[in-house]
Amino acid sequence: MTRREESGADTPKKHVAVTINGKKYRADEGETLLSVAIREKIDIPHLCYEASLEPYGACRLCMVEVVGKEKNEMTTSCTLRATEGLEIATDTPEIVKHRNILFELYLAEAPKSEVIKKMAARYGVKKTRFFKKIDPADLLGNKCVLCGLCVRACNEIMGAGAINFINRGPYTVVNTPYFEPTGDCFGCGACVKVCPTDAIQMEDIGGERIMKSWSNTRVPLVQCECCGKYYAPEELAVSTLARLDTPPKEEIAKICPECRGKQIAREEILAKRGGAAKHA
Amino acid sequence: MKIKTAADLEAKKQAGLRKLQPGKARIAVGLATCGKAVGGMRVYERLREIIGTDSPDIDLSRVGCIGYCREEPLVNITLPGKPLVILHRVTGDDAEEIIRAVEKGEAPEGKALCRIPSWDHVTGCTFTYGRGFDRIPAYEDIPFFSHQKKVILRDAGLINPEDIDEYIAVGGYTAAQKALTGMAPDAIIGEVEKSGLRGRGGAGFPTGLKWRITRDAKADKKYIVCNADEGDPGAYMNRNEMESDPHMLIEGMIIGAYAMGSAEGLIFIRAEYPLAIRRLETAIGQAREYGLLGEDIFGTGFSFDIGIATGAGAFVCGESTALVASIEGRTGRPHPRPPRLTDIGGGLFGYPTDLNNVETWCNVPVIISKGSDWYARIGAKGNTGTKVFSLVGKVDRVGLVEVPLGTSLNTIVFDIGNGGANNKKVKAVQTGGPSGGCIPVRLFDTPVDYESLNRVGSIMGSGGLVVMDEDTGMVDIARYFINFATIESCGKCVPCREGLKHTLLLLNKILAKKGTKKDIETLAELSETIVATSLCGLGQTAPNPVLTTLAYFREEYDALVKP
Repeated sequence: MTRREESGADTPKKHVAVTINGKKYRADEGETLLSVAIREKIDIPHLCYEASLEPYGACRLCMVEVVGKEKNEMTTSCTLRATEGLEIATDTPEIVKHRNILFELYLAEAPKSEVIKKMAARYGVKKTRFFKKIDPADLLGNKCVLCGLCVRACNEIMGAGAINFINRGPYTVVNTPYFEPTGDCFGCGACVKVCPTDAIQMEDIGGERIMKSWSNTRVPLVQCECCGKYYAPEELAVSTLARLDTPPKEEIAKICPECRGKQIAREEILAKRGGAAKHA
Repeated sequence: MKIKTAADLEAKKQAGLRKLQPGKARIAVGLATCGKAVGGMRVYERLREIIGTDSPDIDLSRVGCIGYCREEPLVNITLPGKPLVILHRVTGDDAEEIIRAVEKGEAPEGKALCRIPSWDHVTGCTFTYGRGFDRIPAYEDIPFFSHQKKVILRDAGLINPEDIDEYIAVGGYTAAQKALTGMAPDAIIGEVEKSGLRGRGGAGFPTGLKWRITRDAKADKKYIVCNADEGDPGAYMNRNEMESDPHMLIEGMIIGAYAMGSAEGLIFIRAEYPLAIRRLETAIGQAREYGLLGEDIFGTGFSFDIGIATGAGAFVCGESTALVASIEGRTGRPHPRPPRLTDIGGGLFGYPTDLNNVETWCNVPVIISKGSDWYARIGAKGNTGTKVFSLVGKVDRVGLVEVPLGTSLNTIVFDIGNGGANNKKVKAVQTGGPSGGCIPVRLFDTPVDYESLNRVGSIMGSGGLVVMDEDTGMVDIARYFINFATIESCGKCVPCREGLKHTLLLLNKILAKKGTKKDIETLAELSETIVATSLCGLGQTAPNPVLTTLAYFREEYDALVKP
C-alpha cells in the first residue's frame, strides 16, 4: 500500500469518470492519470514515477494531451489529477513526435542502458541523432537518466540523505557529497530497487556492503550468530529491530531470517510433541 | 520619530524639501552601479575635496540614475531659482570648473546636457526648480528623453535614494497613507484591477487578480514577495529601480500587504546586486525608524515588515517555485504547478504567497495616488501603463528608457536610441532576454505589448532590449543565448537539460562550418520539443532565440552549412 493511499484511507474516496483514448474509466478523484493508466494497463512510458512519492514531473515521457473544447493541451500524466469528465489521449501524432525526440535524448544521455534501449525500441526509436555521452569513469556506468528516484528514496523515504544531485544543468550528476564515501548511507539499497535503468551498483563482499556507484561507500553487515552468513546492513538491522513494538527475543534477534524461520519451526515442532514453546 | 498622521508626514516632507532645495547650491552625483562603473565615485571624491577646502557653502549629495547610460557619469546642479542642470560625461578633472561656475551662480555650459525647469514626480506635486540658463537645451528637446514617459523612474536620478526624507518630499508614502487610512483592502485591489496593471516580470498576469486570489486564500498567514532576481543578460531595469528609488518599492509592498492581509514581505534579490541590497537595507531601516514598517503603521493597527533574501547565483530562481525553494533553503529547482504560490501549501513555507516583480510593485503607489483611470489612460488597451526597458547592444544611445506600453520598436530603437552605434545599420532586436526572440528590423512597427511580441515569436520578458547591427551574426547570437540557458538550466527535466545541451552542440557544429542542412532540421525539431515538453518557463522559452532566428534569418544558417 502506498503512502498516499494510506493517508487518504480515513476519508471515503469520491469516484470520477475519466476518458482515456476514447474509453471511460473509473478513478479516484485527485488520483493522477498515470496511476489510473498503470492500473488499467494503458501504456504510458515513464521513468521518474513511484507511487510512494509525490509526483516529480522530470522525465517528461508520460506526456499526454488533455482534450479541450477548443484545443488540446500537453501535460504530464503523473501530475494531472483526475476530475469528473477529464479526457486525455496518450498517442496523438503530437505526443508521438515529441516523445520520440525525448527517447533520442535518453539514448544519447544513457547510451549503455539496456532498459532505455528496449523502452525506446518499443516505441520505434532505435537510433539517436544526438551525440552520445560516454564517460568511462562514470560511477553509474553511463546508464543514469537523472530521474531522481534514488535521491528521493534516499532523502524522502529512508531519511538518510546520503546522495543528492551535484552541479546543475547538463553537468548534473547524482552521488555522495564531494564524491567521497559517506557515513550517512546505511546500505538499505532502496536506491538500487527504485532505479529504472539499473544504473546503481551494489555488492556484498564478506562483512561489507559496497555501494560501488556511491563513491565506494562501505557499510558493515551483521553476521548471523547461527549460520555465520552476513545478512543485513548493521545500522538498518539495529534501527529496524528498535522500531518493533515488542522486541524479539534475544536468541532470535541476532540471527538471519532464514535461521530464524528454522528456529521457530523447530520450536513449534517441539511444542507439538509436548515440549515447551519457548518463543510464545 | 514615528509618522502617524498626515501632519507628521508633512513635517518630514518639509525636511526633505530643505534637502532638495537647500536655498543654496547643491551638486548631486549620479551614483548608481552604472555611474560608479564609469568613474562617478572619482568625480564625487574630487568634488568633495574641493568643496571641503574652498566652498563649504555648496551642498554635495548623491542621487540615483536618470537612465542615460551613454552619457555617464551624470552630475546634477541646482541653484536657487534656477533650473536643475544635468551635466554629462563628467570626469574628476571637470570638478574644479564645475565648482567655480557654481560659486558664481552659473552652470558650466560646456558640460551641460540639459536643463529641467520643473519636474512631475507623479505621486506628488510638480516640483518647480526655476527659470534661466536658456542657452542649455531643455530636457524635452533631448531626443533620448522626449519620447519617454517617466512614471516608474519618476524620481530616479533626482533624489538621494539613501534619504527617506527626499522621497517623502516628492510625494513618497502619501499613497500608502491614503490606502491604509482611507481605503478598504477590497477597494485597493479594485483599483489595481481597474488600472489594468499586468505583471512586469514578463508573463503579464493581471496583478489585481493575483492579489485577489491571494487575499481570498484562507490561511492564518500570507506572504508577499518581491522578485528582484533580475538575471537576463543585458537587463538592469530592476537594479536601477532599487538603487535609485528603493522607497517606491517598499511603499508598493506596504500597500499590497495591507490589501492582501499579509504581515510579512520578502524581497528576493540576486547577490550580484550588492549596491541595490545595501540601499534596500538602508531604506528598510529608515522606513522602520519612521514607523512605516513595523507595528501599527499610520496608527491603523496594521503591522507589516520586510526582510531581504539574497539569491545564490541561479537564473532559474526567478521562476516562482524555484524562488520559493531557494528562500526556504532548498536547491532552486522548479516543481510542476499546481500547486501555485497562491495556493495553500504551494507558497513560501506552505503559506499562500503573492509574488510580484520589482517594477510591478513600483506601479502600485502611482495607481493609488493618481487613481486607476489616470493610470489606464497610459499605454494601450489591455496593456496599460509604462514599461522600463534597458536599451543595450549595438545601439547609439544606450540607456534605460521608459515608454508607454504599445510604443513601437521603431520609436524605441530609432527615435530614442538613434539607431545603430557607429552609423551601422540595425538588423534586429532581442526582446525578453534569453527567453525572448530576435525581431528583424522589418517588423519594428510591432508595438511593444505582451500580445504583439508573442505574435512575432518573442516575449515581453522583464524588459531587456538587445540591439544587433549588420555585423552581428544571428546564429552566433542564438548560440550565445542558448549557451546561457544551458548553463542556467537546473537540470531537472530532460528536454531542458539534455535538449539545450544538444541545441548548443548543433549550433557549435554549424558555426564551425561542419553542419549540414539536416542539422538545421534537427535543430528546429529539437527546439519545438523543448518548448512543448519542458517543465518550467525556462525550458519552454529557451529555444525562442533559435526559433526566431531560424524564422527570420534562415539564410544565415544556410550560408554556414554544406548542402
